[in-house]
Parts: sequence; structure tokens; C-alpha cells
Amino acid sequence: MELLPNITVNHYLGLSVLLFCLGAFGVLYKRNAIIMFMCVELMLNAVNLSLVAFSKMWGGTDAQVFVFFIMVVAAAEVAVGLAILMMLYRNQHTTDTDVLNKMKG
Amino acid sequence: MLTEYTFWFLSFLAVFSAFAVILSRNPVHSVLYLILTFFSIAGHYFLLNAQFLAAVHIIVYAGAIMVLFLYVVMMLNLNQAEPQRTSAWAKFLGAGAAGILMLVMIAVIRKAEQGTPAGLPVNAGTVENLGITLYRDFLLPFELASVLFLGAMVGAVYLSKKEIT
Amino acid sequence: MKELLIVSLAGIAVLAADVIKFRKAVLPIAVASLFSLIFFCIVDWGRNENPMDNNMLLFDNFALGFTAILTFISLCWFLITTEYFGNDARRTDLYALTLFSICGAVLMVSYTNLVMLFLGIEILSIPLYVLAASKKGDRLSNEAGFKYFFLGSLASAILLFGIAMVYGATGSFDLGIISTASTAMSSPTPLLNAGIVMIFAGFAFKVSAAPFHFWAPDVYQGSPTPVTAFMATVVKGAAFAAMFRLFSGTFGSFIETYGDVIAIISALTLIIANIVAAVQTNVKRLLAYSSISHAGFMLGAILSAQNGDPKILLYYILTYGIASLTSFIVLYHVSAYQQGAEDFNAFKGLVKRNPVLAGAMTLAVLSMAGIPPLSGFLAKYFVISSVLQSGYLWLVIIMILTSVVGAYYYLRIIIAMFTPLENSGRIVVSDFQKYLFLLLSLLMVGLFFAAAIPDWLY
Repeated sequence: MELLPNITVNHYLGLSVLLFCLGAFGVLYKRNAIIMFMCVELMLNAVNLSLVAFSKMWGGTDAQVFVFFIMVVAAAEVAVGLAILMMLYRNQHTTDTDVLNKMKG
Repeated sequence: MLTEYTFWFLSFLAVFSAFAVILSRNPVHSVLYLILTFFSIAGHYFLLNAQFLAAVHIIVYAGAIMVLFLYVVMMLNLNQAEPQRTSAWAKFLGAGAAGILMLVMIAVIRKAEQGTPAGLPVNAGTVENLGITLYRDFLLPFELASVLFLGAMVGAVYLSKKEIT
Repeated sequence: MKELLIVSLAGIAVLAADVIKFRKAVLPIAVASLFSLIFFCIVDWGRNENPMDNNMLLFDNFALGFTAILTFISLCWFLITTEYFGNDARRTDLYALTLFSICGAVLMVSYTNLVMLFLGIEILSIPLYVLAASKKGDRLSNEAGFKYFFLGSLASAILLFGIAMVYGATGSFDLGIISTASTAMSSPTPLLNAGIVMIFAGFAFKVSAAPFHFWAPDVYQGSPTPVTAFMATVVKGAAFAAMFRLFSGTFGSFIETYGDVIAIISALTLIIANIVAAVQTNVKRLLAYSSISHAGFMLGAILSAQNGDPKILLYYILTYGIASLTSFIVLYHVSAYQQGAEDFNAFKGLVKRNPVLAGAMTLAVLSMAGIPPLSGFLAKYFVISSVLQSGYLWLVIIMILTSVVGAYYYLRIIIAMFTPLENSGRIVVSDFQKYLFLLLSLLMVGLFFAAAIPDWLY
């Protein structure tokens, strides 16, 4: 169905899939922990976008409320994640994930 | 007509800046491009009648989360270009995996049937309607989000404070 | 609902006790709250309450049963790790974080709405990221915390995309409505299909099933051993219970569609984990791989659940939880005594150095290997027989073959313990701990006989 003139929900879903996969690509491609983390945020935003589009499609507000919860969780995750990153940096003076290889086997 | 062009413009902007996040060598540029992505996503929310969500999105993501990122990038002094150490093999693998995932999902949504339900009334994204849903249907998750925040707060403080000896 | 209140208020009370410098009360508060949680689970048993709070939570027998056993394991965890946390000032934070984490586990077994599932997973995980990294000066712990955090948030993103697609296909987050909408379809629509697959992938990350297990050994090895014990038991149990509720309950009508996928992932998990575990030299890493291999068995329990009967999974989580907790805590005592050494040599002569620890460890690994007079045998037997009933003969063969490989590396631990060692000092544990180890050992044997009595469990 058309959410906007000539724009269907599939357009939005396609955009959201594109952003999600770009985020996944960034996670696999980058070595800097902070950028990898930002790519996860990009993936979460892709999810949010698809939820808002579905919310418009189904005519309910619950998906928009779910987006609030995703934001809440993202904020909490960022707080903890950056604290872990800072600690990591304090101990090994880099955020390059290539050095995270103390354990093997 | 105008909304259609706006959609394509915002989509292009979002995808372009998402690419730029990944491809720029300087972490500060990545942060700034990510903020641009978030702004274009907020534009989409406006188009989809989720006005309040768009405002909250900008405040939370661009205003709080990305500032935190920028702060950490600056504090760790990472604003020089990082040396490229990713091997060609890892790059290829990453591109391949993400590409396959995308192809599969595009194939899925191309086949996805169009939903029949009625669209959202124009004012559904207002504070009033969202508030009713949030504080009536989703009251319990709302309360539990406080537990989540308390846990995250205790954890972040625990990790950041100096070791007591 | 009161279950949830008790445990979250206990977390806050622990923090408050720290603020008013009354640290002595911290452990009693935690223990008392978990005791009362178990008590309420027993009182409410069979009452079959209606869904509450606009269909957000449902404390049915399924939820109460899983809450009770997860709480019981957490209770044992609290009591048995007192030595690690000792009297240092930071333990209040860690106890509070653990209690919040248990709060998330309670949500994950009682949700009836995908919003609650998502919040439950996050409330469970976010404190755990911190706990994994809680040895602040230790690089391994840092690395474990970072990897756990990073892959956890990646898994959440994948899970969320799955939830979004399920919403797109059915128009609701409520499990009841999703279930009605999906049984109305003869086969899942492409969107629903993609959603279910992505939710499954997200869960596979969380439970460390085969293609997504690569983070688990590092995280388990790097985290402080008591935290690893918590992850391997309570966290894994909660994730499997949540998975069961979704895949055997809500999407139960599609079990034929996804049965083969779950079976293949289960087989992959078993094969990879057992073969890699057999060549490990670090016992902690070995136990991590063994924990992954048990995830393969629990996937089998989900695959074969007849009409959503969770008894097999419940019994498996309980027996595996007790055995795994015991083995990790024994490992903690052994390695704490030897400057953190975690290889087989650290276990040498344990029989002489501390017979109680050696006995408990022997029973625990034998139970995990599935040797008859121990409960682990029955747990595996139930899973295998129900998988056989579902018609996956090849999976049963893989389960049995990999169990043989498993027995090999479990025996290596036992052999190390019985290898005599010259001039070794005794490992001292307090009397209370000794009794706890005896209690856990007794449970490993006792649960066998409790379940072997017909018409009680079966």
C-alpha cells in the first residue's frame, strides 16, 4: 500500500534493509571499535525506520512506542559500551580491534 | 509530487552519508556523517506523520548519543586518520557477507505482499496519541526501562570510577 | 508481577545498603529476595493467572517453573561465590548488577509481548557486559567485556529487525495476536519468514549456537570465573526459555518449516563445540566449549517439544545449570590457589589437596558427560528420545557420537585430578562452601532418582 504518493511500504523497507546492511558491512569492515559501534547504531536506526513505516501501514501507534524503547535501550547501551571502551583504552591505549587477540584456540 | 521528491532526496542523503560513515578515514568525519544520516531519517519520520518521534530522535540521537561519541573520540584523541590495516581478504569478506544479506532481504521484500490495513490517521504521531499508548498499554515496559537505566548507570559508574583500595 | 517487583527492589535495596554503609546486609538481602522469589513461585504454582498489564506478562506454570529454577541456580551462585566477592567494597555494585540481570531473566521467561522480550534481553545483558569486564585491570576481562558487549548489541540489532518484520507481517507485538495471525496462514509469508529467521539468528547469538558461537569461548575465558558461571547457567537458561516460548509456542505451527534448520544448527553446534573442546589445554576454555555443546542439546529439546511441553528443557537447564555452576566454581578455587593457572596441570592432585572439591568436580563433569547415575544422563536421554520421536534419527546419531567425544575431554579433567602431585598444599574452602558443594553433588545424584521415578516427570 502507498504510504506517500507513489511511495509504498516496500520502498521504506528497501531503504531500511539498505541501511541495515550498510551497518552490518561497517561492523565487518572497520577496525576501529568506536566506528564499529556507530555502525551498530546505524543498524538500530534502520530498524526504527522500518518500524515507523510499518506503524503507518498498520495504523497503530504501538510500533512508534517500540521505537521509543529502542532509543532508550540504545542510550543505555551507549553509556555502558563507551565506558567499556574507555576502560579498554586506558589499559591498551588503542581502540583497534586487531589487538584484541589475547585468547586463541 | 513534492513528498515523492523529498522521499528520494532524503533516502539518497541517508544512504550516501551512511556510506561516508564507513568509508571516511577520520573518526570525527564518521561521527558527523552519522549525524547527517540521523537527520535524514528524522526527515523520513516527518514524512510518515511521526512528528514527535522525529523530534525525540534528533534530541536523543543527534543531541545526546552522538555528542557522547564525539566526546569519546576527542578524549581518546582519535581524530587523526587511522592507519588502514584491514587486509584485502577481510574487506572482501565483509562486503560479501553484507552483500549476500542484502540480496536475500531485498528478494524477500520484493515478494512481500502489500498490507491491506488502513493508514494511520494524520494526527497519530502526536504527543497525545503516543502518550495514551505509552502510558496505558505500555506502562509496564515504561517502568521497567527505569530498571534498565539504573543497571546501565550503576554499570557505567562502576567501570569508570577509580579502584578503591 | 510480584516476582519482578521483589527482584528489582532487592537490587535497589542492595544499592541503598551500600549508600548507608551497611554492607553487611547486602548478601542477606540478595539471598532473602531470591528465597522469597522461589517461595512465591511455589505458592503461585498452578494458579494460572491471566495475562496482566495489557498482555505484557503471563506468570503461567511455564514462567513460574523457569523462574524457580533460574532463581535457584542464582541463589546457589550467590552463596557459593562469597569467597570471590569477599568483603571488598565493589561487591555491592556487582551484586546489584546481578540482581538486575536476574530481573531481566524473569522477564524473559514470562513475556507475552515482544516489547517485553526485547527489554528483558537488554535488562539481562547490559549488567552482564559490565560484570564480564568487572576485573578492571585485567586485559582478558576487558577484552571479554568488549566482545560480549559488541556482539550482544549486534545480536540485539538483528533480533530487533526480526521483530520489526514480524510486526510488519502481523501488525502486533502481542504473542497471542501474532500466533493467531500466523496460524491463519498455511505457510509463513515471506516477510514473516524473514522475521522469524532473523529472530532465530539473534537468539542463536545469545545462546551461542554454531555459526554464531565464535564470541563465546573468548568471553567465557576472559570473564572472571564466577561471572562465567553465571553466564553459562542462568543467562543461557533464560535465553533458551525465551526461545522456547517463542518458537514452540507462538511460531509452533511452523515447526515443520523450521525443524530442519534448527536440527542442522543443533548438529553443527554439537560437532564444532565437541571437536574443538577436545583439543583445548585451558580448562576454562574447555568448559566454555562444553557449554556451547550443551546449547546444541537444548536446541534439540526446543526442536522436539511436543505440543509445547517444556519439561525436557526445564530438566536439562536445571541439571546442566547445577553441574556447570559446580565445575566453574571448583575451577575458580583451583585457579585462585595457583595464581590464575587454568590448565590441566592446575588440577593435578586435587583429590589429595581437597577431596570435596575433587568429588564435586568429578560428579559435575560426569553429569555433563551423561554418565548414568547422574542427572545429566537422564537429561540427555530425555532430549535424545524426544528428538527420536520427532523423526530426526541423524541428529540423534550425531548427539550420541559427540557425547562420546565429550566423555573423552571430561575424563581428561578427572584423570588430571587423580594424577598425584608432589609437595602440594591443600586448597582451603570454608565449611559453608564445603556443605554447598556437597549439596550440589547430592542434587546431581538426587535429581536422577527424582526424575527416574515414572509418572512424576513423565
